[in-house]
Amino acid sequence: MTLTPPLAPPAAPTPAPTTATRTGRGNPSLPKPWIGWAFLAPNLLGVLAFTLIPLLSVVGLSFTSWNLVSGLEGIEFVGLQNFLDLAVDPGFWNAALRTVVYAGISVPLTVLGGLGLALLLNGDVPGRAVLRVIFFLPYIVTVVAIGMVWLMILNPSAGLVNQTLAAFGLQDVPGWFASSHWALPALILIAIWSGVGYASMIYLSALSDAPTQLYEAAEVDGAGAWTRFRTITWPSLMPTTVFLLVTLFIGASQGFGLIALITAGGPGDATTVVSYYMYQNGFQFYRFGYAAAIGMATFVGVLALTVLTWRAQRGRTLHD
Amino acid sequence: MTPRTTLSRRALLGAAAGAGAAAALSGCGSGSTGSPSTTLQVWGGVPAANGPQELVDGFTAATGEQVTYTRFVNDDRGNLKVDTALQGGVDIDVYFTYAAQNMALRAGSGMALDLTDRVRADPELAPYLDTTAPRATMVDGRIVALATAREPHFLLFNESLREQAGIELPRAWTVDEFAATVRELAGPDRYGTYSVPDTARVSLGANYWYAPEGGSNFDDPAFLEWMQLGRSLIDDGAAYPWTEVLARQLEAYQQTPFLQGEFVVWPTAPFNLRYLNNAEDYPHDFLVAAAPTPTTARGDWNGGSFNNFIMINPRSTKIDLAWEFVRYWVTDGAGPMLGGGKIPALDVLPDEDVLAGVLGEEPEQWFDVESFRRTLFTDEPKLMTDTILSAVPEISLVSEQQRNLCWIGEKSPADAVASIDALADAAIRRYERQA
Repeated sequence: MTLTPPLAPPAAPTPAPTTATRTGRGNPSLPKPWIGWAFLAPNLLGVLAFTLIPLLSVVGLSFTSWNLVSGLEGIEFVGLQNFLDLAVDPGFWNAALRTVVYAGISVPLTVLGGLGLALLLNGDVPGRAVLRVIFFLPYIVTVVAIGMVWLMILNPSAGLVNQTLAAFGLQDVPGWFASSHWALPALILIAIWSGVGYASMIYLSALSDAPTQLYEAAEVDGAGAWTRFRTITWPSLMPTTVFLLVTLFIGASQGFGLIALITAGGPGDATTVVSYYMYQNGFQFYRFGYAAAIGMATFVGVLALTVLTWRAQRGRTLHD
Repeated sequence: MTPRTTLSRRALLGAAAGAGAAAALSGCGSGSTGSPSTTLQVWGGVPAANGPQELVDGFTAATGEQVTYTRFVNDDRGNLKVDTALQGGVDIDVYFTYAAQNMALRAGSGMALDLTDRVRADPELAPYLDTTAPRATMVDGRIVALATAREPHFLLFNESLREQAGIELPRAWTVDEFAATVRELAGPDRYGTYSVPDTARVSLGANYWYAPEGGSNFDDPAFLEWMQLGRSLIDDGAAYPWTEVLARQLEAYQQTPFLQGEFVVWPTAPFNLRYLNNAEDYPHDFLVAAAPTPTTARGDWNGGSFNNFIMINPRSTKIDLAWEFVRYWVTDGAGPMLGGGKIPALDVLPDEDVLAGVLGEEPEQWFDVESFRRTLFTDEPKLMTDTILSAVPEISLVSEQQRNLCWIGEKSPADAVASIDALADAAIRRYERQA
């Protein structure tokens, strides 16, 4: 009696797959390739209809003059004229400068605030879970609600902020959305307030992956808190920081909802950033070719910024 | 065999997915270019409940023809939706245009049927042929749109506050008298007026943005006078502070501070009367009276216009029926629109019926009816229709931006008007170059 079954004879070597087999044409037991494409089709069609075609249309439109109502036959090819006009359009450059100020201040401060908050909430803070939810809430609140609440808070005469400032004896309180000097800072303030919670959540998840063995080694070596942060925490968070900077910069360059809701680009043109200028040209003036050119210029600007940010962080990341 | 069964199921699912995608794709186009329905499709900006539905029902009762009224929001996005639908071949037979910038684009782009011969053939529509105070939009001498409403401007008074101040209700007045009156009406807990009427339009009439020789007309002193008047009344506390208007976004909700007695005089138009005879939604306890637009040394235009233009889509397959409906709207069917403050463009209803329609039920409870009768009818306000539509949205925007900067005290009236002049001139030149 044997306890183990006899060895099976060696199997015939598996034939190398042929092209016909891989594609299913030569093997009737495998599904036809078009079935896979059929399953993908709804999603691909969506990408095609809502991403690729609009994207290519914008590129094409930027070389045309078109007012929409004249129909497709009304599209007139104008070559680089839109870009030449853009180069000497003070409205565009003013809007671009405001976008740089808006994004250049709000994004770094949002990231810094998010980092500080994450470090705070990563420790042993009483009610930590509740605090995390509270700080994250502004990110998930609809932009309309945010706009309405801040309109009331920053009302020049009856708003909470100015009432508080006045209670401390400040006479010349800011006009906020009713002042061309204060409207953009007010929008920056709101952008930071609504983005800090999001940034802190991203940082918190990154902190949970921090290399504990390095912290232990650093403690053994007698490194202080600041040294541990500078040499371990910050480098390990570098990819997260770059991710936040890039996505928030892109978001800020497209910032539209709050501006459309609260200031409509004003007072004057004080809050007309590039995205709103593009909206005005496209949907108010019906200069769709010019608006597409603004979109292309914005794309190039954001792409350059992203590349710069990406290159700046190279060599500064902590590799385990 | 089992493998074949599995394959068959997958094939079935795949085919279903493919069919679904095909159906979805075909669905994208079916609403627009498929065989049109026999129902007349009408798109307008007034909510159906404010008159259009009753008008449509009246047309159906009179003719037996079915009509579907679709409301679009009359803002940038709503009008873009209309333009896209018209271009995309959506089944629209009749549609409305309210703003001059939309009219400029639609009328000049073949999106409006030529109505000239039909208007000429109908004696009742003869006023639409008038070119001195036009009620129709013309392109190259051809009528493409008919005004359905007239919108005279007036100044509404909070009668309680006016009587408290011991001021007479003006029956005819100048801009200087207006300024003196609102200064007198202002008090520690209220402002005299919400804003100032567009006195440049009162002086110059239709097409006042455009110089006769071409380009911008904002170097006309009438614009500086208007800007200065607004600024000085705000600085004096006689007009509502513009910082509050911007901070509270009151341009769209002017009725709220009026109903709360924050100011006494409200320069507005009949469409806002709906807030004043609806005590349930807009409670208040004072009578409202009307006074005419103040005149200037240079003109006595009312500032109001003929508007709410109705147009027929040239792609409509029911053009005769569409015309029948258009004709009904501007003549026999105009009555139901009075409830929304839309006074018919043609004199198709007795004045008293119009008055009763726009003032609503129990007019004596809410209005000084005689003052409205006088302001709307007896005084025969001089209305207008702009016929030059070059760069209207651009000029409108820069005018609003510079007015805001001036009236919040950040720019002098002279600098603000100079900026408007330069920017408007550039916009007009660019528009003409591209045209």
